Amino acid sequence: MGEINTNVAEDETFDLSKAESILEKYKHIRGSLIPVLQAIQFEYGYLPEKVIDFVSGELNISVNEIIGVATFYAQFHLQQRGKHIIKACSGTACHVKGAKQIVEKLSEKLEVHVGDTTKDKLFTLEEVACLGACSLAPVIMVDEDVYGQLSHNTVGNVIDGIKS
Amino acid sequence: MKMIHLTIDDKSIIAPEGTNIFQAALDNNIYIPGLCYHPKLSQFGGCRLCYVEVTERKHTRHRFACAHPVSEGMVVKVNTTEVNRHRKTVMEYLLAHHELACPTCNKSGECGLQNIAHELNMSPGRFKTVRMSAPVIRDNPVLELNRNRCILCGRCVSACKEIEGVGAIDFQNRGFKTVIGTAFDRPLDCSFCGGCLAVCPTGAWQDRTLGFSGRPWEFESIPTICPYCSVGCTIVLNTKEGSVRRVVSNDKLGINEGNLCVKGRFGHEFIHSPERIKTPLIKKDGEFQPARWEDAIEMVSDKLKQIMEKHGGNVIGGIGSEKCTNEENYLFQKFCRTVLGTNCIDNISNMKAPFLNGLLYKSVERGFFTDSLKGIENANTLFFFGVDITEAIPVVGCMARKAIQLNSANVVIANPRNIIFKNTAKNDVRLTYSLGSQHILLNAIIKVIIEDKLVDLKKIESSTSNFSSLCSSVQNVSLSNAEQLSGVSLEMIRSAAKLLTKPGNCCIVYGKDVIEDPLGEDTIKTLLDLCALIDVSNHSDIHPGRASIFCSRYHNNSQGVNDMGVVPEFLPGYVDINDAANKEKIEKLWGIKFSGNIVSKNSFNLIDLAKNGNVKSLYVMGADPLTEYPNGNEIRECIKNIEFIVVQDSFMTETAKLADVVFPSSTFAEKEGTYTNTGFTTQRLNRAISPVGNAKTDWEIICDIAKKMGQSFSYREIKEITEEIKKAAPVYSGFSYDRLRRKEFHWPSLLLDKIGSNKYTFFAIRDKSLKVKGEKEFPLVLITGASMNHQGAYSAKSKALVSVAPECFVEINDKDAKDMQIKNGDMVMVESRQGKLKMRSKVTRKSPSGIVFVPDAYVNIPINMLIYQEYTPVKIYTVLDN
Repeated sequence: MGEINTNVAEDETFDLSKAESILEKYKHIRGSLIPVLQAIQFEYGYLPEKVIDFVSGELNISVNEIIGVATFYAQFHLQQRGKHIIKACSGTACHVKGAKQIVEKLSEKLEVHVGDTTKDKLFTLEEVACLGACSLAPVIMVDEDVYGQLSHNTVGNVIDGIKS
Repeated sequence: MKMIHLTIDDKSIIAPEGTNIFQAALDNNIYIPGLCYHPKLSQFGGCRLCYVEVTERKHTRHRFACAHPVSEGMVVKVNTTEVNRHRKTVMEYLLAHHELACPTCNKSGECGLQNIAHELNMSPGRFKTVRMSAPVIRDNPVLELNRNRCILCGRCVSACKEIEGVGAIDFQNRGFKTVIGTAFDRPLDCSFCGGCLAVCPTGAWQDRTLGFSGRPWEFESIPTICPYCSVGCTIVLNTKEGSVRRVVSNDKLGINEGNLCVKGRFGHEFIHSPERIKTPLIKKDGEFQPARWEDAIEMVSDKLKQIMEKHGGNVIGGIGSEKCTNEENYLFQKFCRTVLGTNCIDNISNMKAPFLNGLLYKSVERGFFTDSLKGIENANTLFFFGVDITEAIPVVGCMARKAIQLNSANVVIANPRNIIFKNTAKNDVRLTYSLGSQHILLNAIIKVIIEDKLVDLKKIESSTSNFSSLCSSVQNVSLSNAEQLSGVSLEMIRSAAKLLTKPGNCCIVYGKDVIEDPLGEDTIKTLLDLCALIDVSNHSDIHPGRASIFCSRYHNNSQGVNDMGVVPEFLPGYVDINDAANKEKIEKLWGIKFSGNIVSKNSFNLIDLAKNGNVKSLYVMGADPLTEYPNGNEIRECIKNIEFIVVQDSFMTETAKLADVVFPSSTFAEKEGTYTNTGFTTQRLNRAISPVGNAKTDWEIICDIAKKMGQSFSYREIKEITEEIKKAAPVYSGFSYDRLRRKEFHWPSLLLDKIGSNKYTFFAIRDKSLKVKGEKEFPLVLITGASMNHQGAYSAKSKALVSVAPECFVEINDKDAKDMQIKNGDMVMVESRQGKLKMRSKVTRKSPSGIVFVPDAYVNIPINMLIYQEYTPVKIYTVLDN
């Protein structure tokens, strides 16, 4: 029942099959936008524009509304993210201990701005308010691992370690 | 509904339970400042300005008026020291952010933010001003979004989503970074109805058609009726120095509650188009020469007299206008019938579907039009059959969405295409049927209704006649056959039947796809049968549910021109011309005797007569048969045989180009009169500006010629004509031109009061179906329809509409496109046996495989040149783009 999706995907090379199987599950459940977005982000690593257009047509929700929701929550990403996510703490304790220099150093080494992903799609650099490990300040977290008591001289080693 | 008594600012008022304080105050003309609440939209509670002091149940607290319901004995104070202190602080925050560009802002003078700042006597705030510097978005031709002036009240977001159903904009990001915008910062992709602009309380949304050509306080506001589609929305023309500068809407006027579509709101530039015909033109040696009015009138009257003397009046044909007023059409048919002595008159809507007038009048008599179009808002079930609501009558779509929101109405849409109608209905059943199967589909629905006893059969049997024939006729319908022919699953047919017969009001709207089908007449009769079934069954003393049925006509006055008798078989008001008593009555009123040669055959056809060379002269008022008549080649052939053609029009249409004399007529903005919309509501036009150039109103031109030809057409003002219409057309007898200022006129309701509704007799038409297929060489089937953005010459001469939708297109199903190796946006040739036209392809799933759709509203692509039968076979191939 309801309106059918009359849009035609222009680029057929893009793989929508994963989104299709997600939507198969949620299509007829009202209020399922956030679970759908979460599942899509899990499958694709982010919310690709083409997938969102497809979801919009299938769920009959305007793409603007979907992106309105996606940009409201910090958990959703519209850009492809790196294999490893670096969260550099900028909380009070870390700030006092020189978090700023750590971020600068990371940014310089990875050649990215905060929030962006490296060209080789290996790292995404993010700044977070507090990681809850103030005793180890200044601290960064790469994926699930915490690296503490860093300095701008040692932080590079962490990256090199992960790369090798 | 329970009523609540409360006091606001020492004024005792009564409001229905559940109303919020803000609305209750608004209804009682009590002012509470506020920027985000809007009566048409859902409550948002974001601006924090409607802060009031509320005393209820012995407690005094501060509350936001828009988010707090009224309660018994409540006392509300709108202006206390504390309340004002709060409000000033909120304003300080808003103004700290807002770009204070009032000197150059078009909104200045009608800006909610500016007004409240002024009322509260705001001085420079205590906070550091942090102005936003977001770029102004001008990615479309009609709307401009300046987010530096936005206060994030959310009205535009709600209007777009709730009224228009589009959701083209939404809040993006969060916290300080929140803006109104589109996903991925794409250009605005919407219907450009301008609803956002109408509800915006600040200067964030701007009308680009206005430019900087005037300030709100300089404008004179003249409410009038939109000249485009058949809904008849009230628009307000803002004029300055004798020219129309913009169109605005007024929520309190008309049937549309301030909702408009892109044509109504932005399609006004044609009024002052340089392409307007400004003086009479006489063709000499194949070239038009400007002429003086006297000379042109004299020439036409002499020539017409000559023809009448030589052949008699009945060789002169008249085509009335679906765009001109009732008064002009009335005079036109009177002119033809009395001065010229011909009954060879018609209008294009009647040429397309000659059976429609009789059927509509019959259904009126049977009480199916108890309400105006606005009645759609009270519907519990909406059934759109063969009409593309969104494209053809967009504001009816807004009314339908209101019904869905207020009454949780269900929607059933039957159409040969997958039309788009964005809505939030819980049940939205789409029956996409194959061409030619509409009648059997409808019969299958009726069969299910009767066999599953979804209606009260006993009641129907007792209060209607011929019900047994209906039962026996549907008995023969094979559901599996219907399923196979229509391509609609039995399950869908069943669920549609169930939804249609739910208790409450059912509203049926049918349109072009039904009317212009070869089985149109039978389908409409069967639709009336269905409507009667539901109406009789749903209506009782306990359940006042009714079923109503509307026909979606094409032009603003397509109904009026037929009401006025610009058809061969009816005198004004559907009076049968063959009836001697009626004839005598009208002869007495007009003070003439119909000459013996007045032809009054029912099956009278102007085109057939012209084809056989029996029409020597053609008088066309405000119509363009060459682009509007379905078979373009046929009408071209006819016109070739005609020796003398007179056209009254505002623009040099295709028909006008072939004329011998062209009279410049004024547009809707320059005249008074009335239009009757597709729901039979008659509304009044108001003159906003004086005629452009040397143009005259159509009725003045007719009077001038009639006088020259020695008849007394001495009308001085519109009112004299409306008085005569009252006498001539029985259905308009309760009509008052002066009363129209306050209230619109709806003749079917008055007619019913007079005659009472008749017992319904079922038509009981046996199911029929057609096989519609392409041919070997022309494998696709062409269908045409309305476009939201265009409608004839008016829209083609409005710059804004042309830039919104610059090019005509052909919709191709993605499968067909792939087979033919056509990509979206390719330039293609659409070719039938009659001709070919070049246009852009639009690859979509809207049209099912095998069907291509081209809008018939673009005058520069006369799609009727390809058409020689209903469902013309065509082929499509790519061509070079140049």
